[in-house]
Amino acid sequence: MFVARSISADHKDLIHDVAYDFHGRRMATCSSDQSVKVWDLGEDGQWHCTADWKTHSGSVWKVTWAHPEFGQVLATCSFDRTAAVWEELPSESTEMGLSHWVKRTSLVDSRTSVTDVRFAPRHMGLQLATCSADGLVRIYEAPDVMNLSQWQLQHAIQCKLSCSCLAWNPSRVHPPMLAVGSDDANPSAGGKVIIYEFSEAQRKWNKVETVMIVTEPVYDIAFAPNLGRSYHMLGVGSKDVHVITLKPLKRELAVTAPPQGSSTQATGMSRFEIRQVAQFCDHYSQVWRISWNITGTILASSGDDGCVRLWKANYLDNWKCISVLKGDGTRSPTDRPGGQGAMQTSNVQGVGNGTRYYKLGGMLGQTATNQVVWH
Amino acid sequence: MSMGRTMFCTQEGPLNTISTNRDATQCVVAGRNVFKIFSIEDEEFVEKMSLRVGKINLNLSCTDVVWNPIEDHILASAATNGAVVTWNLQKSSKSKQDHVFTLHKRTVNKVSFHPTDVNLLLSGSLDGTMMLFDLRQKEVASTFHAGTDCVRDVSFSPHHYFTFSATHDSVVDLWDMRRTDKCERQFTAHNGPVFSCDWHPEDKRWIATAGRDKAIKVWDIQYKPHLEHTIQTIASIARIKWRPQRKYHIASCSQVVDFSINIWDVRRPFIPFAAFNEHKDVTTGIAWRHDPHNFLSVSKDCTLYQHLFRDAVRPADSAAPVGLAINIHGDVTHAVSNKLENASAVKGSGNYQSTKAPSFFRRPPSRSELFKSANSQVQVYQNAGVKNSLSMDWFVISAKKYQLTGKLLKDLCEHNAAISEHLERYDVAQTWHMLKILYSADAGQAITRTFTMDSNPDYSQRNNPDKGAGQAAAGQPRRPRHGQQKSRQTGGTKPSASPGSMSGQRDGSPQRPKNSGRQLSNIASGIRQQLTRDGAGSTRARTVRAAGTDRTGPPDNLNGSPPSVNDESEISDMAQDQPNIDCKVELLLSTNALAEQSHLWDSTQMVVDMLHHFAAKGDVQMSVSVLIVLGDRIRPHIDEHTQEHWLMSYIDLLGRFQLWSCTNEIIKLSGHSAVNCLNQQSTTVRTACNRCGKTLLRSGWLCDKCKGITNSCSVCHHTVRGIYAWCQGCSHGGHLQHLQEWFSKYQVCPAACGHMCEFAS
Repeated sequence: MFVARSISADHKDLIHDVAYDFHGRRMATCSSDQSVKVWDLGEDGQWHCTADWKTHSGSVWKVTWAHPEFGQVLATCSFDRTAAVWEELPSESTEMGLSHWVKRTSLVDSRTSVTDVRFAPRHMGLQLATCSADGLVRIYEAPDVMNLSQWQLQHAIQCKLSCSCLAWNPSRVHPPMLAVGSDDANPSAGGKVIIYEFSEAQRKWNKVETVMIVTEPVYDIAFAPNLGRSYHMLGVGSKDVHVITLKPLKRELAVTAPPQGSSTQATGMSRFEIRQVAQFCDHYSQVWRISWNITGTILASSGDDGCVRLWKANYLDNWKCISVLKGDGTRSPTDRPGGQGAMQTSNVQGVGNGTRYYKLGGMLGQTATNQVVWH
Repeated sequence: MSMGRTMFCTQEGPLNTISTNRDATQCVVAGRNVFKIFSIEDEEFVEKMSLRVGKINLNLSCTDVVWNPIEDHILASAATNGAVVTWNLQKSSKSKQDHVFTLHKRTVNKVSFHPTDVNLLLSGSLDGTMMLFDLRQKEVASTFHAGTDCVRDVSFSPHHYFTFSATHDSVVDLWDMRRTDKCERQFTAHNGPVFSCDWHPEDKRWIATAGRDKAIKVWDIQYKPHLEHTIQTIASIARIKWRPQRKYHIASCSQVVDFSINIWDVRRPFIPFAAFNEHKDVTTGIAWRHDPHNFLSVSKDCTLYQHLFRDAVRPADSAAPVGLAINIHGDVTHAVSNKLENASAVKGSGNYQSTKAPSFFRRPPSRSELFKSANSQVQVYQNAGVKNSLSMDWFVISAKKYQLTGKLLKDLCEHNAAISEHLERYDVAQTWHMLKILYSADAGQAITRTFTMDSNPDYSQRNNPDKGAGQAAAGQPRRPRHGQQKSRQTGGTKPSASPGSMSGQRDGSPQRPKNSGRQLSNIASGIRQQLTRDGAGSTRARTVRAAGTDRTGPPDNLNGSPPSVNDESEISDMAQDQPNIDCKVELLLSTNALAEQSHLWDSTQMVVDMLHHFAAKGDVQMSVSVLIVLGDRIRPHIDEHTQEHWLMSYIDLLGRFQLWSCTNEIIKLSGHSAVNCLNQQSTTVRTACNRCGKTLLRSGWLCDKCKGITNSCSVCHHTVRGIYAWCQGCSHGGHLQHLQEWFSKYQVCPAACGHMCEFAS
């Protein structure tokens, strides 16, 4: 059961990204209107906007939270070719409950739109990766975690393809790993998901794999949280939703397998067994955003159909749609009149077996809280 | 309709400016050392002539060029040296230069022909003056002084004969050309130089301005100038040009940084409607070909380009129209474009339309109509109730209530099983029960108490198939997901003692406790099977295996010691006589003698696999809890790194839920050096001076600020070594003995602070 609430976000243009903080009690939204808003979950269970400020001079594509250990810190990236790091000023909240955010740094190395920005997992310290439309992935580090205004460009990786998204592998027991997705529209340009791994010996990021399964443009990519798994799981939002596992092969195996075994040994690069465990085309065309739950067992995706779909593997590792969420914030004129409460409609899109499509009745106007039947 | 194509040609030097002739079939481009006229063909630019002939001087170093909008043979150019040159293409001589006005003292930034009067030419210069030339008389008709400000741009109004605009540093002037002393109106438009202004070709009220402050502004100048729209771009703007026949569209190019030409819809000022990224250096001039889909541009990269709208980049198309995030509590936030909302509403209700009158046909909205009104809805799907598979309530409750130490293993297992059962996590409860059986000495009793051994699931399904199905069906109306479960039960796995199938249940689909009972007997059956296999003679064993083929046996490492107490023949009898087995096993298990032997087959590997399985399925809590509860029974069989990975993952998770006490407990109980030291690493205990409150940095007894010894005895004023007794109210104290003496006589503080110390009583 979900309770759906609409928030009047009041951004003046499209919202491109939503991010929850570490503890799930704060939320940031970013929009083409060049601003970012921070929302806090109040005692009353409602989300209140506690900050709203102009961050860039172009569309803000992504917003992301740093681990709270580093303070209340956000990073944004924008069409204006910069990425920025913001920090909330610790202050006794004013009567309006508003907080103040200051720009700690602006990362201006990119010559094109910066399409994604992500903080590295906490165990790697305060690092930030950005990727841009001209195919460059940049990794910055703040050597002093107390000084957020100093960031050094540590690595720049040339991807050849225009980058649209990136993801850090959260696993603490494996070498640092990045997955980069490309929105290059040409399917013959090959795989659109590229995996990089950091080699401690060389102090360098190496390309270890190109996921050839995905050749359509990729708009979102996310590693599943790794809570004690020995392998990695990657969600990819492309034309379809893909779930891909990367099983590290034993080093010895990897060395003997490729013809140039010696070179592999020299670089110490990992090899992976890449397998697609699921692929879904239930969103009408493009899948724009995906998100994992905290345990890395459920993948949510959202696409051009305006719905959220939740995917989960059953005990046989078959991934199925377990739910479709669709809130009716606005009732379009074509909508059926007289919709009251929760109505069951047949599964129009032909989702997997056992999936039902529940539509929220249009209760707007009377109350903002709708009951979504879910199972 | 042939529209030509996107094409370019490269010149010998950077280009500064471009202008087209009346019908836009030809264009003139100019720069420091280029001055050429091209004819625009379908497939290519054809050079018609170069105006840079004859004596080459600075007059030819063009900053601007305009083609007369009425007479196709007249052009005018502005030069860096302040010269304004007119050109007559009808001249028979090689040089078409007509007349040179050298009245400006500094660079002329802009020249502009009157839109309707062929003979009027206006210039604006860095020297702060504008001049109106009459081409018939070849002299200056009027000079307008803008004060000390340099003139950045001038242009005649297309709507009023006498009006022209001029832009300076931060202000825009509207002049009446009949008045030379003073402009008619002036308004501050930008923060910094205004590099460009463009009258709206249709709407008489509108004028657009742009400048170094990176903004494009649209003003309504009908009355008092009023700001209608602002577009904030990423770089200082060099040129703007309204798009013909599209009221709200305007093209812009930047002076630095951004090489692309952007077409904006002023109603959606945040993202370009279209972008043209062909140039490799900054674009310096834009000229529309009277057609909204076709324009020319020149750039510092030495190229002249024709751009077609069909080849435009649409930045908005690759911008995600949705945002999506799940928080740790399983709430889902979904921000979705209103367009998608509507789109899916239309599609979603498609199956109802047949019953209604067909909606009247409408032309689909144009791209720019769709573009302009972009907005997003935000929905938060707050998860409600533990039934939700995104819910993490089970995690929090388990973390708080699990007991991991301090009791007998069997009690811990029982306790934890009860908690899991209460949370309707029967598979986990099951696992705890199983662990109890495997690792606790008097498991036999537990079994007999918990179960009446109705049968193992194999038989229950076989004997009364209706039962399982009926149960599932009963659940159906309430929670349709039982449908899945049903198939799992009937068509799915053969019940087995392997951890996989049990954990499979933890999809969140609740099961009746009864199921759990049957499952547990399953384990028993596993044990039984092992027993028989171990104990039976070679011939008998085969029979047993044959009987047990339809279930998956436990792992193959049957290296337990052979049973000593059991009668071989009895076991083999059971194997032959299936229906009786369970009762007998029950009997067997309920004897303590056997129970002590219950690990005669080595279950360790199975438990290890099970822990791996739980971790892989996202329930690292279980892995860690079992690890801690079993301790050394299982520890040596799992490698250190994996243990650390689990422990750290679990600690991270607990941290996210702000379960600090649980975190601490896990760290304490982890038994893992790398984890144990977490507590020490991040914990600092500081001592402060009891007089000034300053942190003691050097040692515990000397304060740098007071230059004195801390904690001296209030009675004898000597340093206290050993026990220091102190009042929590006023923080004065001293030697225990001294204080006892003091307080036997007095009730107030010995330090004379006036406090009635507590321990005076």
